[in-house]
Amino acid sequence: MGEVVKLQLEVAGVSGPTRRKLFSSFVELSQNIVHYSSNALLQGSEDEGAIREGAVCISKDGEHHVMLCVNPMATAEVESLRNKLEPLRNMSLEEIRQAYKLSLRSDTPEDSKGAGLGFLTMARDASAPLEFAFHPRADEPGTTLFCLMAII
Amino acid sequence: MDNFYIAATTTSPEVDLRFDQHALSLKGESYPENAAAFYAPVIEQMRKYLAEHAGAVVTIDVALTYFNSSSTKMLFSMFDALDQAAQSGSRVLMNWYHDEEDETIAEFGEELKADFRAIEFTDRLIAHPGR
Repeated sequence: MGEVVKLQLEVAGVSGPTRRKLFSSFVELSQNIVHYSSNALLQGSEDEGAIREGAVCISKDGEHHVMLCVNPMATAEVESLRNKLEPLRNMSLEEIRQAYKLSLRSDTPEDSKGAGLGFLTMARDASAPLEFAFHPRADEPGTTLFCLMAII
Repeated sequence: MDNFYIAATTTSPEVDLRFDQHALSLKGESYPENAAAFYAPVIEQMRKYLAEHAGAVVTIDVALTYFNSSSTKMLFSMFDALDQAAQSGSRVLMNWYHDEEDETIAEFGEELKADFRAIEFTDRLIAHPGR
């Protein structure tokens, strides 16, 4: 998957630095899906990764690229995720860099399979604050669709 | 102890730890699905080597063109082990290779320099492959 995205961006003539940022955000988002999407299509085991459901879309909007990611998550975890993302929206790029440095040197949060650095990495590379929304599923109140948009 | 080698894949780097030559190398891209699982044995071997060869002059070449956030975290703890060895009598020479256009990797190199003062860093610019 990653290779396909890389090739597409190269063929589309996107500049090196932008291509790197887009690829980086793509990896962070798709690994978020793989690790956190509530809809496991295949349960993971020791030697076999889980397969989970979600979608990532990259489009071009004038000067910028828009990366959109959607995946189902447990409604019970919405508040905790909102509390991670909301503060990032009000931070300056300098503050995001500082938070990134701090997070790099701190221990991995217990609920995190990654480094807790993923959103900070994306926020650092984006050219506008990360946008996000939660849409509870009417037919399944335990599940909420999580949408995240990064403009790069 | 035996040398340690892992071939590169699309999502993980080549790891070439030639302990008999005190030459370590990481090369490629790093975004494995489970970075902790990928790096744990690498760090373990490196720690073991460093403990057994106190006082050695160790060279490590790092030529990673991309690493995701969870790999970043693991790299940080790997370099921490090297820094500790350098503080207790070994010499660690790190060649930090990065593309001249890639600010992210250059900046991460600066972070490393600031934190791991006992490691002797050399910035190695890779000329940009023809555009």
